[in-house]
Amino acid sequence: MIAKIKISKSERIILIFLIILGVFTFTSLIILKNKCLFVKNYNPNDIKFDNPENIVILNVECGNVIIELYPNISPNAVKRLKKLIKLGAYDNAAFHRVIEGKLIQAGDLEFGKRENLDYGKVGSGKSGLGIIKSELDEKFEYDRGTVGLARTFELDTEDSQFFIILQDEPLFEGEYTPVGKVRYGLEVLETIKFVPKFHIVPRPDFINSFKMLN
Amino acid sequence: MILFRAILFFFIFITPLKANIIYNLIKIPNLEVYNVDAKNGLRYLYAIKPFRLGLNVEKNINCFNPGKKILDKQYKIIKKNLDRYSLNFLKKINLRYIVLCENLSITEINTAGIPNNKTRTLILDIKFNQNHFERAIHHELFHIINDNYKELFNENIWKNLNKRNFGYSKCSTCSENWNLELLNNQSGFFTEYAKSTASEDMAEVFSHLMFYKNKVYSNDPIIEKKILFIKKNILKIDNTFKF
Repeated sequence: MIAKIKISKSERIILIFLIILGVFTFTSLIILKNKCLFVKNYNPNDIKFDNPENIVILNVECGNVIIELYPNISPNAVKRLKKLIKLGAYDNAAFHRVIEGKLIQAGDLEFGKRENLDYGKVGSGKSGLGIIKSELDEKFEYDRGTVGLARTFELDTEDSQFFIILQDEPLFEGEYTPVGKVRYGLEVLETIKFVPKFHIVPRPDFINSFKMLN
Repeated sequence: MILFRAILFFFIFITPLKANIIYNLIKIPNLEVYNVDAKNGLRYLYAIKPFRLGLNVEKNINCFNPGKKILDKQYKIIKKNLDRYSLNFLKKINLRYIVLCENLSITEINTAGIPNNKTRTLILDIKFNQNHFERAIHHELFHIINDNYKELFNENIWKNLNKRNFGYSKCSTCSENWNLELLNNQSGFFTEYAKSTASEDMAEVFSHLMFYKNKVYSNDPIIEKKILFIKKNILKIDNTFKF
């Protein structure tokens, strides 16, 4: 006959401790480590668009960001953006400037590509296509998800860099050229790496691809 | 090498003020939005901490964050005065941002305002001489107009309006007399301060025109000519402008 051995009090405490440790390890290594776990990834093929010729797909680590471009508002800026997208110029470009909860910026094709990222110069690079004139619209509302063309301190210096705002920014109205708005996947952009107090992100996230829908 | 890189990273990238959206627009740190809904498109910002500025390495412009009570009170006065300028006129003179702070100084000399037409900004000291505060707002705004239309407000033509034996100081702060009280001695100037430079003189004429509206009256023939000069050229910028 086998006698039933009761777990002592100290063994019970150790067992509970091990369970808690296991849960903590699982949470921190699997759930918290995976920043994309709860982010919805939109498949553009599942969505019907009225104007597919103006839909572009920005693909990053956590999924797709679907953007509608506004050629009626900023024809030259949209033309420039489409040209660079069709050339595949934005693929592997860094999100070099990210302000937590406010703005992400990418598109430095000279100093911000994965293969030649230059921390000293990123943000000042050009596309090689030349600068274009600002197309400002006082009435255009810069609300969350708006995509605009970045520029230097001076107007009429837009080139390839673009930004997407993560909160409403009325100060941007009439200041920057709007090119479109994020229709789906804004939450994907909230996973882009930022470092508090750093105005250029060290070891930044990159654009996987930036393509036209059609 | 790794340590060197880490140190380099630290110094290159840790510049918190540059991560600020307002700083990126007008290159002034420590500001917050006060009001961006003005009908004429002006955006009012205020200092939340003291700031120092300067075009050169030497940062010679200083201003401090105002208290909430005085800020609210002075903002109403400033807005009332600036609301007289239309969106169209402000676009033409390239003014968009009004920065409100207190105890504004340049090279340790207190000043009512500092215009910067490149950043389309006018910094205003909300605690400046309260007797002349409202008029000073228009005075400082004129400097923005002047900076954008130098050819219209030609200083040589202006200087010829004065008496032959008169000469301005070399700069606006070179004179010892900065009195802003109205003169009444047929000297050709509204105030003692107007005698400092041609541009300050023009700003004084403009501010008197704006502040006293049509009540500004002078039987001084030089001032009469100066008023005509200012009115004529302002109307060249915007023929709908109302003094």
